Amino acid sequence: MKRKSRFLACSWFKGSLIILSAALILFFCLVFAGLVLWPEPRALIDALTSEEILFAIELSLVTSLISTLLCAVIALPVAYALSRYQFFSSRLMGLIISLPLSLPPLVAGIALLIFFGPSFFGELLRTIGIDIVYTTGAIIIAQFFVNVPYLIRVMRSAFDSVNPRYEYVARTLGASEPGVFLQVSLPMSKQALLAGLTITWSKAMGEFGAVLMLAGATKMKTETLPIALYLNISTGDLDMAIASATILLAISVGTLIIFEHWFGSRKMM
Amino acid sequence: MPLEIRSLSKTLGDFHLRDVNLTINDGEYFIILGPSGAGKTILLETIAGIHRPDNGRIFLDDTDITDTPARLRHIGMVYQDYMLFPHLTIEKNIGFGLKQQGVHPEEIKRLTGEIASLLEITHLLPRDPETLSGGEQQRVAIARALIIRPRVLLLDEPLSALDAITRRRMRNELSHLPSLTGVSIIHITHHAEDLVSLGTRSAVMDEGAIVQMGHPDEIFQNPQTPFVAAFTGMENLLPGIAGTSHEGKIIKVGNVRIHAISHHTGPVIFGIRSEDLIFSREPLRSSARNVLQAKVTKIRLMGSLAWVMVDCGFSLTGVLTVQSLFELGIDDGDMVYITFKASAVMVFPDEKWDKKELSLETRDDT
Repeated sequence: MKRKSRFLACSWFKGSLIILSAALILFFCLVFAGLVLWPEPRALIDALTSEEILFAIELSLVTSLISTLLCAVIALPVAYALSRYQFFSSRLMGLIISLPLSLPPLVAGIALLIFFGPSFFGELLRTIGIDIVYTTGAIIIAQFFVNVPYLIRVMRSAFDSVNPRYEYVARTLGASEPGVFLQVSLPMSKQALLAGLTITWSKAMGEFGAVLMLAGATKMKTETLPIALYLNISTGDLDMAIASATILLAISVGTLIIFEHWFGSRKMM
Repeated sequence: MPLEIRSLSKTLGDFHLRDVNLTINDGEYFIILGPSGAGKTILLETIAGIHRPDNGRIFLDDTDITDTPARLRHIGMVYQDYMLFPHLTIEKNIGFGLKQQGVHPEEIKRLTGEIASLLEITHLLPRDPETLSGGEQQRVAIARALIIRPRVLLLDEPLSALDAITRRRMRNELSHLPSLTGVSIIHITHHAEDLVSLGTRSAVMDEGAIVQMGHPDEIFQNPQTPFVAAFTGMENLLPGIAGTSHEGKIIKVGNVRIHAISHHTGPVIFGIRSEDLIFSREPLRSSARNVLQAKVTKIRLMGSLAWVMVDCGFSLTGVLTVQSLFELGIDDGDMVYITFKASAVMVFPDEKWDKKELSLETRDDT
């Protein structure tokens, strides 16, 4: 009785908002559960352990880890420079670096394809024996190109939030400029770095558009998980497509949990 | 003399330093007093080598260090918010400077322990900065700066973030630092109280320039500008016209004439300290030249003191003990007499003073 009266006591406005939210959450859960539960469990396990999916998992893991590492190596110094130094027009620089963030990855991919393909620079690379297009290297470059702006953004805002007076004190205590960066600014931004790397890696695992353009979709060659999903759905092999999707879903859930753990309710996007 | 600053100028955003000249002697506790935004922090940061001055030179032990990077200057810095590295324990914070010099970890541990026991913070060593109180954080920040054996220690509003009791205790401890460690100290503050209780010599800063320098007593008793007078707690500062009449030197404020001792004529700013006003019910027979009838407009009680605002043709604020207030039976709206000596009136030539706003922050911490 008591519960019913409390429910009646809440306003129709509040009640309808809560019902709407609950309906949306239910819809999401049904959609995701439906994906995983659709195939026969036996068929899903067979697909997950198939040679093709195992190859895709390995390729995705290797390329995404390398591209994430590459992102870190480049994003950390660039983000620090943008945060601390005035050079050229920092605002314009920030915009150019952020462009791939808002660009559809397909567009980024075709631009990369032109750059490493028929352009002068592509020709130049080929004359010294480097051909990127449609290789594993192309996957890494595509993932890097799309993700590095995101990591720069995260790290820049993290460095911005470190009061420069910490660095001033470190300097009066005898720290060199690299020393200040490595011993003060970077450790003070550790949380953002870990969270940023987690999201960068997860985005690299799932990168499709740019990879499709630059590396192509060749079975058992440039077949990352999203490419495997795409290839198998094209040939009507639903179980294999769902197997890739399930793994990508699991990775997303995992990174989301890690991200929330490090950042709580703070938003970094 | 360890530190000498010659004609230092620096513009940084909205802040300016204008032609600052200072010398700090060995083991001296030098106080720079000024309102927020006077450029005090920039002055310290420029001395520390964080900012390169636009003009002027800085000498440490007669060596020009203007172009020496901060890390090689051996000038310690403690900020108001202490800036303890949050990712390091207290022990690591204090040892930071020695680590930069490549001192052996065992030796760092020993020296850290030594300075910690000097500042009585040994029990804090294993803890993280965020678990410390303000007073504890300050000791750690001072230990961290002192461990590199700086010639000069710069303190940026070191007492402002502390509660009244801790502040009094820290003020006392800070005053012993030079004799304890041989370091010279520059301490910047907007509390006039710090000036009286700490400084051996001091300067008052306004809008990036030093407007007066001298012993704290001298600055209190003989302010050179209305700004210094106001900032060291002179409540009554008023515009008037100075001149000479058959009665001698006088200042006219509207219809009221005030006797003063001054060589200025024309528009002036004159000041009278609240404590120099004597209140009475009847006109006093005294040698004091100024006796004015006035109406009490407001009484503000603060602890054992009563601040009484009166209107005698212009507004004045006086101070007396609450006991005297009751004995005289003074109340809002009463007519009283106020008496003050001609020599209690300080007269400054009127520059652009009237347009200037000043927050009187000097009395908020007692």
